[in-house]
Amino acid sequence: MTPPGGQARGVLARDRSPVAAVGERGPAAPADDIEDTDPGLARERTGLAWTRTAISFAALGGALLKTTPAAGALVLIMAVVIWGLGRVACRTGQPEASCRYRHLLITITVALVSLVALAVVLLAGSSTALLRPHI
Amino acid sequence: MTRTAAQVPETRQAAEAGASETEGSEPDARFTFANERTFLAWNRTALALVVAGLAIAQLLPPFPGVPWGRHLLAVPLIALGAILAAAAYLEWRRNQQALRHGQPPPRSPLPRILAASITVMAIIAGALILLSAALK
Repeated sequence: MTPPGGQARGVLARDRSPVAAVGERGPAAPADDIEDTDPGLARERTGLAWTRTAISFAALGGALLKTTPAAGALVLIMAVVIWGLGRVACRTGQPEASCRYRHLLITITVALVSLVALAVVLLAGSSTALLRPHI
Repeated sequence: MTRTAAQVPETRQAAEAGASETEGSEPDARFTFANERTFLAWNRTALALVVAGLAIAQLLPPFPGVPWGRHLLAVPLIALGAILAAAAYLEWRRNQQALRHGQPPPRSPLPRILAASITVMAIIAGALILLSAALK
């Protein structure tokens, strides 16, 4: 698959100058990417990427539950929120309209999770017993 | 549409200065989706670094003779996760601006930063293992 940058250059160039594009690929050349005819696949891949991100949050939340249950529960809730945001984005098909705040939300969440993780590591210190309270 | 030499730096400057996201023209939805996926992928990488740091600090047994060894590995990984998340957001905005102005996406420093950090962490981990084996 063409990388996003290269794809962007290629298609933008085609949009701007159809003559140049015909000159590059020949008038009867088939589309080199299936998305030239069906942009819906990009939306589907993006929906899957949101789902993977939500799963990553859920996995981290599950791991944090053992050491800091409150933070773990919050991250698990965020996983659900992120999954929902991805669904909304897929449904409306207007990725850029509300993107900024969704992306900012994810960024702030990851930064906060990192801070909590740092606090857990630095404050909990070397007590591996935290993970094995029943041993 | 042909751009003059004067117009191109102007739009690039506007993009770099973080001009309003409503400027320029609406890019092809596929590019917006691709940019969004890249942002999400960087955030998953950041989360993976945080998880790795937590796992090192909480699950790994202490290095014999090097009690601070786990912290030396875990803290930079978690900090790198936070930095990557913030940088990914800035990069997403920068790419979106570039797309809106019909520019190619600017070169990203993130892969280089990530590769260099992982290399350094691997070297530190190797040194810690050797040091703890020597001190045992």
